[in-house]
Amino acid sequence: MFRRKKTNNKKNRQSNFAKLSIFQPNKYKFKKSCPLSIKGAPVVNYKNIKLLKKYISDNGKILPSRITNVCQKKQRELSISIKRARNLALI
Amino acid sequence: MNLYEHTIVARQDATASQIKQITEKYSKIIEEFDGSIVQTQNWGLLNLSHIIKKNKKGNYIHFKIKGTGKIIKELEQNEIIDKNLLRYMSVKVKKFDLKTNYFSNSENNEKSNKK
Repeated sequence: MFRRKKTNNKKNRQSNFAKLSIFQPNKYKFKKSCPLSIKGAPVVNYKNIKLLKKYISDNGKILPSRITNVCQKKQRELSISIKRARNLALI
Repeated sequence: MNLYEHTIVARQDATASQIKQITEKYSKIIEEFDGSIVQTQNWGLLNLSHIIKKNKKGNYIHFKIKGTGKIIKELEQNEIIDKNLLRYMSVKVKKFDLKTNYFSNSENNEKSNKK
Protein backbone atom coordinates (compact mmCIF):
# COMPACT_ATOMS: atom_id res chain seq x y z
CA MET A 1 0.00 0.00 0.00
CA PHE A 2 2.75 2.43 1.02
CA ARG A 3 4.92 1.74 -2.01
CA ARG A 4 2.22 2.58 -4.50
CA LYS A 5 1.74 5.92 -2.77
CA LYS A 6 5.44 6.70 -3.13
CA THR A 7 5.66 6.03 -6.84
CA ASN A 8 2.48 8.00 -7.25
CA ASN A 9 4.23 10.93 -5.68
CA LYS A 10 7.10 10.82 -8.18
CA LYS A 11 4.68 10.74 -11.06
CA ASN A 12 2.87 13.82 -9.69
CA ARG A 13 6.15 15.73 -9.44
CA GLN A 14 6.95 14.72 -13.00
CA SER A 15 3.60 16.05 -14.25
CA ASN A 16 3.93 19.26 -12.20
CA PHE A 17 7.10 20.08 -14.03
CA ALA A 18 5.75 18.97 -17.40
CA LYS A 19 4.88 22.61 -18.04
CA LEU A 20 8.56 23.58 -17.67
CA SER A 21 9.66 21.05 -20.22
CA ILE A 22 7.46 22.51 -22.98
CA PHE A 23 10.38 24.18 -24.66
CA GLN A 24 12.17 20.82 -24.86
CA PRO A 25 11.56 19.26 -28.31
CA ASN A 26 8.86 16.70 -27.95
CA LYS A 27 11.02 13.67 -28.60
CA TYR A 28 13.20 14.53 -25.56
CA LYS A 29 10.32 14.60 -23.12
CA PHE A 30 9.55 10.93 -23.32
CA LYS A 31 12.91 9.55 -24.46
CA LYS A 32 14.94 8.57 -21.42
CA SER A 33 18.45 8.56 -23.00
CA CYS A 34 20.83 11.37 -22.06
CA PRO A 35 21.35 13.78 -25.01
CA LEU A 36 24.95 14.49 -23.96
CA SER A 37 26.32 10.97 -23.66
CA ILE A 38 25.43 9.76 -27.16
CA LYS A 39 28.38 9.34 -29.53
CA GLY A 40 28.34 12.58 -31.48
CA ALA A 41 27.38 14.78 -28.53
CA PRO A 42 29.13 18.16 -28.19
CA VAL A 43 31.79 18.56 -25.52
CA VAL A 44 30.57 20.09 -22.23
CA ASN A 45 32.92 22.99 -21.72
CA TYR A 46 32.67 26.39 -20.05
CA LYS A 47 33.58 28.00 -23.36
CA ASN A 48 30.90 26.18 -25.34
CA ILE A 49 28.18 28.68 -24.39
CA LYS A 50 25.94 27.68 -27.26
CA LEU A 51 25.47 24.29 -25.60
CA LEU A 52 25.25 25.69 -22.08
CA LYS A 53 22.48 28.09 -23.05
CA LYS A 54 20.26 25.10 -23.86
CA TYR A 55 20.46 23.92 -20.25
CA ILE A 56 19.67 27.14 -18.43
CA SER A 57 16.20 28.61 -18.04
CA ASP A 58 15.35 32.00 -19.51
CA ASN A 59 16.31 33.85 -16.33
CA GLY A 60 19.63 32.03 -16.15
CA LYS A 61 18.90 29.20 -13.70
CA ILE A 62 20.36 25.73 -14.25
CA LEU A 63 17.62 23.32 -15.29
CA PRO A 64 17.17 20.17 -13.18
CA SER A 65 18.24 16.93 -14.83
CA ARG A 66 14.75 15.42 -14.40
CA ILE A 67 13.53 17.99 -16.97
CA THR A 68 16.40 17.81 -19.41
CA ASN A 69 16.93 14.03 -19.06
CA VAL A 70 20.68 14.54 -18.66
CA CYS A 71 22.59 11.79 -16.84
CA GLN A 72 24.08 12.65 -13.45
CA LYS A 73 27.71 12.69 -14.63
CA LYS A 74 26.96 15.14 -17.43
CA GLN A 75 24.73 17.21 -15.14
CA ARG A 76 27.66 17.72 -12.75
CA GLU A 77 29.95 18.76 -15.60
CA LEU A 78 27.22 21.06 -16.91
CA SER A 79 26.69 22.78 -13.59
CA ILE A 80 30.41 23.35 -13.05
CA SER A 81 30.91 24.75 -16.54
CA ILE A 82 27.81 26.95 -16.25
CA LYS A 83 29.12 28.39 -13.01
CA ARG A 84 32.50 29.04 -14.62
CA ALA A 85 30.87 30.72 -17.60
CA ARG A 86 28.86 32.89 -15.23
CA ASN A 87 32.03 33.91 -13.46
CA LEU A 88 33.56 34.98 -16.74
CA ALA A 89 30.31 36.80 -17.60
CA LEU A 90 29.89 34.69 -20.72
CA ILE A 91 26.39 33.58 -19.79
CA MET B 1 53.77 19.66 -15.79
CA ASN B 2 50.11 20.48 -15.50
CA LEU B 3 47.89 21.95 -18.19
CA TYR B 4 46.06 25.17 -17.37
CA GLU B 5 43.56 27.28 -19.27
CA HIS B 6 43.87 30.87 -18.13
CA THR B 7 41.43 33.51 -19.33
CA ILE B 8 41.55 37.22 -18.47
CA VAL B 9 38.96 39.87 -19.18
CA ALA B 10 40.43 43.28 -19.93
CA ARG B 11 38.56 46.55 -19.68
CA GLN B 12 36.22 47.73 -22.40
CA ASP B 13 38.25 50.76 -23.47
CA ALA B 14 41.60 49.00 -23.61
CA THR B 15 43.12 49.87 -26.96
CA ALA B 16 44.63 47.19 -29.20
CA SER B 17 48.13 48.24 -28.18
CA GLN B 18 47.22 47.91 -24.49
CA ILE B 19 45.89 44.42 -25.11
CA LYS B 20 49.12 43.49 -26.86
CA GLN B 21 51.03 44.89 -23.90
CA ILE B 22 48.95 42.84 -21.47
CA THR B 23 49.43 39.61 -23.38
CA GLU B 24 53.18 40.20 -23.64
CA LYS B 25 53.44 41.07 -19.97
CA TYR B 26 51.76 37.89 -18.84
CA SER B 27 53.43 35.63 -21.37
CA LYS B 28 56.77 37.01 -20.13
CA ILE B 29 55.79 36.01 -16.60
CA ILE B 30 54.89 32.53 -17.81
CA GLU B 31 58.24 32.15 -19.57
CA GLU B 32 60.09 33.40 -16.49
CA PHE B 33 58.74 30.55 -14.40
CA ASP B 34 59.76 28.01 -17.09
CA GLY B 35 56.23 27.39 -18.28
CA SER B 36 55.30 27.22 -21.92
CA ILE B 37 52.35 28.80 -23.70
CA VAL B 38 50.71 26.23 -25.94
CA GLN B 39 48.29 28.65 -27.52
CA THR B 40 46.93 32.15 -26.99
CA GLN B 41 43.50 33.12 -28.27
CA ASN B 42 42.14 36.63 -28.45
CA TRP B 43 38.35 36.33 -28.24
CA GLY B 44 37.99 40.06 -28.89
CA LEU B 45 35.32 42.38 -27.54
CA LEU B 46 32.38 40.42 -26.14
CA ASN B 47 29.27 41.63 -24.37
CA LEU B 48 29.40 40.83 -20.67
CA SER B 49 26.28 39.19 -19.30
CA HIS B 50 26.40 41.46 -16.25
CA ILE B 51 28.06 44.82 -15.61
CA ILE B 52 31.52 44.42 -14.01
CA LYS B 53 33.05 47.62 -12.66
CA LYS B 54 30.82 49.74 -14.88
CA ASN B 55 31.91 47.89 -18.04
CA LYS B 56 29.37 46.38 -20.39
CA LYS B 57 31.90 44.82 -22.75
CA GLY B 58 35.22 43.10 -22.15
CA ASN B 59 38.26 42.06 -24.13
CA TYR B 60 38.84 38.37 -23.55
CA ILE B 61 42.33 36.85 -23.77
CA HIS B 62 42.77 33.11 -23.39
CA PHE B 63 46.04 31.32 -22.65
CA LYS B 64 46.67 27.60 -22.72
CA ILE B 65 49.65 27.06 -20.43
CA LYS B 66 51.78 24.05 -19.68
CA GLY B 67 53.63 24.38 -16.39
CA THR B 68 53.64 24.10 -12.62
CA GLY B 69 51.25 25.68 -10.14
CA LYS B 70 53.77 28.40 -9.20
CA ILE B 71 53.10 30.11 -12.52
CA ILE B 72 49.41 30.45 -11.82
CA LYS B 73 50.05 31.85 -8.35
CA GLU B 74 52.48 34.41 -9.78
CA LEU B 75 50.10 35.29 -12.62
CA GLU B 76 47.19 35.89 -10.33
CA GLN B 77 49.20 38.02 -7.93
CA ASN B 78 50.06 40.38 -10.78
CA GLU B 79 46.54 40.32 -12.12
CA ILE B 80 45.06 41.46 -8.81
CA ILE B 81 47.14 44.65 -8.95
CA ASP B 82 46.59 45.26 -12.65
CA LYS B 83 44.03 48.05 -13.13
CA ASN B 84 43.16 47.09 -16.70
CA LEU B 85 41.78 43.66 -15.85
CA LEU B 86 38.24 42.99 -14.71
CA ARG B 87 38.31 39.26 -14.15
CA TYR B 88 40.71 36.32 -14.42
CA MET B 89 40.11 32.59 -14.25
CA SER B 90 42.50 29.66 -14.43
CA VAL B 91 41.27 26.10 -14.85
CA LYS B 92 43.35 22.96 -14.50
CA VAL B 93 42.60 20.76 -17.49
CA LYS B 94 43.47 17.16 -18.35
CA LYS B 95 43.98 17.80 -22.06
CA PHE B 96 43.61 20.70 -24.44
CA ASP B 97 41.45 20.70 -27.54
CA LEU B 98 43.29 23.25 -29.61
CA LYS B 99 41.11 22.95 -32.67
CA THR B 100 37.77 24.36 -31.63
CA ASN B 101 37.77 28.05 -30.91
CA TYR B 102 34.27 28.94 -29.77
CA PHE B 103 34.84 32.67 -29.90
CA SER B 104 36.80 32.97 -33.10
CA ASN B 105 36.14 36.28 -34.83
CA SER B 106 33.23 36.71 -37.14
CA GLU B 107 34.56 35.56 -40.50
CA ASN B 108 35.38 32.02 -39.42
CA ASN B 109 32.55 32.03 -36.93
CA GLU B 110 30.38 30.08 -39.29
CA LYS B 111 33.12 27.49 -39.60
CA SER B 112 33.23 26.93 -35.84
CA ASN B 113 29.44 26.89 -35.70
CA LYS B 114 29.30 24.23 -38.35
CA LYS B 115 31.65 21.96 -36.40
